[in-house]
Amino acid sequence: MPAHWTEETALKGRGHRSLGRRWRRVSTRSVIGRGPSRAGTGAVIGRWDPAAAARNPRKVSASCMGRRRRRVDRGAAVGALPEAIAALSRTLPAGPSPEIFRRAKFDRPEAAPALWQLLFRVLSPLSANGASAPPAQGEPPSTEAQVRVVKSELRSQGYPRRALAQLPEDGSQGSRELLLALAWLLARGPLLERLLAQTRVRLGDEIPLCECEALARPGPPVPRVEADGPVDIRHLQWLMGKLRFQWRKLITSQQEQCALLGKIHSYTRGCHSDRSLGHLSVAETELLRDAESGQQLLRRLESENVRLEAALHWRRQELVFWRWMDTVLGTCPPEASQPTFVPRIPERGAGEWELVARELQTLQEELRGAAEPRRAAWEARVGGWGPEWSAVQRASREAVGLELAALQRAWERGGAAAQPHGPCRLVKSDAGASGGPGLRAAQVIEVLRSREACLEAVLCQLQRQCRQELARLAGALPGLIWILPPGR
Amino acid sequence: MLPADCSRRLVAELRDALDACAERQRQLERSLRVSRRLLRTWEPAETSAPQPTPAPETSGEAPSPESTPSPQDLKELELLTQALEKAVRVRKGMSKTGERHKALSLKSGSAAASATTASAPSRASGQASCRVSETKPPRGIQQTVVPARGLPECRLLSVGDRTRMERGSRATKPGPGPRDQQIPPSAALQAPEAFTLKEKGILLRLPMAYRKAASRNSRLWAQLSSTQTSDSMDAAATAKTQFLQKMQMTSSGPGSGLSAAAVEAEVGLLRTACSLLRRRMEEMLSADPADCMQEYRCLLTLEGLQAITEQCLHRLQELRAAVVGQQLGPWPVGRCPGASLPCGGGTDPIWSPQLLLYSSTQELQTLEALRLRVAMLDQQIHLEKVLMAELLPLVGTQGPHWLALCRAVHSLLCEGGERFLTVLRDEPAD
Repeated sequence: MPAHWTEETALKGRGHRSLGRRWRRVSTRSVIGRGPSRAGTGAVIGRWDPAAAARNPRKVSASCMGRRRRRVDRGAAVGALPEAIAALSRTLPAGPSPEIFRRAKFDRPEAAPALWQLLFRVLSPLSANGASAPPAQGEPPSTEAQVRVVKSELRSQGYPRRALAQLPEDGSQGSRELLLALAWLLARGPLLERLLAQTRVRLGDEIPLCECEALARPGPPVPRVEADGPVDIRHLQWLMGKLRFQWRKLITSQQEQCALLGKIHSYTRGCHSDRSLGHLSVAETELLRDAESGQQLLRRLESENVRLEAALHWRRQELVFWRWMDTVLGTCPPEASQPTFVPRIPERGAGEWELVARELQTLQEELRGAAEPRRAAWEARVGGWGPEWSAVQRASREAVGLELAALQRAWERGGAAAQPHGPCRLVKSDAGASGGPGLRAAQVIEVLRSREACLEAVLCQLQRQCRQELARLAGALPGLIWILPPGR
Repeated sequence: MLPADCSRRLVAELRDALDACAERQRQLERSLRVSRRLLRTWEPAETSAPQPTPAPETSGEAPSPESTPSPQDLKELELLTQALEKAVRVRKGMSKTGERHKALSLKSGSAAASATTASAPSRASGQASCRVSETKPPRGIQQTVVPARGLPECRLLSVGDRTRMERGSRATKPGPGPRDQQIPPSAALQAPEAFTLKEKGILLRLPMAYRKAASRNSRLWAQLSSTQTSDSMDAAATAKTQFLQKMQMTSSGPGSGLSAAAVEAEVGLLRTACSLLRRRMEEMLSADPADCMQEYRCLLTLEGLQAITEQCLHRLQELRAAVVGQQLGPWPVGRCPGASLPCGGGTDPIWSPQLLLYSSTQELQTLEALRLRVAMLDQQIHLEKVLMAELLPLVGTQGPHWLALCRAVHSLLCEGGERFLTVLRDEPAD
């Protein structure tokens, strides 16, 4: 437990020899935010030990090097910052103690390894840490590897400060920069919730409605020998055949799993304490069958509860943290503009970009080919029509404009609200139709059917395109008869 | 033979697809194993046999017991301590309806007792007194499979009889650990009735500890998702945006605010846009305009779609320039390109899952089959596009073995690799 949690307030330009830094003068107004909430001081000074609050301010202990301490506001502000940070640590995987955070503000090197590890856990693809897939490697990666992953991931997410990229790879320095990076990640989005959701304990039999989770979590990378040399096209044909076979096997296995699930659900009818669920899931039945795994599940559930409570605590108190982070940012020297890095065009990203560009261009061609003759024909017909026509034209234009705007919104916003999204817990219920929460399987089946029809149409269209293109290329060579295989 | 770089790319894509499929299969196999085991007869000997470590814990805070192969004594000592604690608790809060710790598992009655005699006396006295005052539910024996720690109460009902219960009350010790090595074969004879889910599944009840934890869990998740949208978050949200702005100002990094991740997300959106635009175009082209108005609207729509497509292309060029010119850093790892997601990639974390009600196994099977089919079609479409991009140019340039290549490409691209066409040489009849 840290003895005192002290902060600098009005820095009178006192050089700090022991830390080898000159602190910038920071105006008190920016540091102490008089917020409306109870954490009014912005935890400029928060004392860890409430009992010590009654003491007069005095010269601080050696660890704080003669900094003058402000008298703290009595009340809830005492210890608010360490508490908030402790809550944050409990929520994060591998969260360090509040003392580490305090040291990081002063850029102490001993705080760096813990923060590197924390950022690595937070940023690394969840396949290495997630509950569903076992970690690919037996032991955690080396410090250098962790540092590299953290740097590259932060850069690709657009972390604005270059100082991070210049930190040494042995993970011995840069704790303040890492603290800023963590705060940046926290500020940008619901990081904690996302982390919690990814490692959520799954109590029910879940079925993902859309593939976004499966795509975002690709599973452990399989070590693969790259085929360097040229391959014959028969190899590709073989791979395609293998893929088709795998899918068929997958579908069969899935059917069996559904049958088993149906049985388990019906055999345990009425056993669940929650009436809306009605029956046990596989995880719950397993809990009853095998005590060991039941214990594990219970432990995981309880530790998740601890984390959730910590997250809620954090939510209530995070304002204090942000005010403190402002001070941390204030202690950093401003960055000089750096020479730019060597550009690197990632191959994978380029491939993706190429595909989309090609698709859009094809689409544009087709649209032009469809629209231009129609426009010409229309102009020819309508050329001499009177002014009453123009009002009608205007109305049509507006209507079409609205439709197209709606269409644009559909992808710009992601359209997440429209489609059912995320994993669903399967519940077998005879009572079927109306009332009660939850989706009905029949509805989802309808949606999936229409989506299937759509995709089949797209695939057919692509194949037709290929056929035409090949016919065109083959037609260049006379003297051959092409006999197409019997159609489907 | 295909050129080297083309081969590399195509093989990589196909292998990615195979890996994704294999990953699904692995997960499915795991679930199948568990489900099959549940539907067989439940044998405690099986459960207490030393098992390979199941899927590891996600949180580092709870070390799994399998990772610490403690010697017998340590384990017994630990169990003894817990049992004593539990006994104190039980005596304090004794109630008729409360679940208590029961004896051993179905088959290993006295065997386990002999293994753990150290704790037996204290537990036995506690148990016996509880037992006496307890009114037996009409259904009979309550025996549990009692684990090492925490002792969830679980009542499995078997064809009950008092004798077994008596035996159970004397031999109190939980502990799958000691049980591991010590179940004699004779134990199997003690309980002729095996437990199958089919016959007795309906009698299962979840342990109280689990129920409490699960309800607390769902309550906390609900609270967490609701605090996301409350007004008290505004102050924190303002503080956060201010912090981000300050960060941006004090740094010398890319000023445009674009990052590789953001670019990738936008490219994904544009991909979705393309498919939506195309779908609308096909609707327009396939509809027969009934009158002038509809014709006009069709024309306007097509022209509007064209304009939007040009905007998208323009945006794509901008993104490309950003990637090249501003050194946005490495592409984010571990993203699978391919499917155009109807839900737009879902950046929102997923809270507690909602319920999906199905009424029969056939319905569930249909649902799953459709889901897999949609995923498969997504993958096929992506592969089709990639193959088209790589292979059609090759066919365009006539090289050696052009006919064979043409035939193979046709089968891959136009028939999904399932059928082949035949090429005949049209010799003039002499």
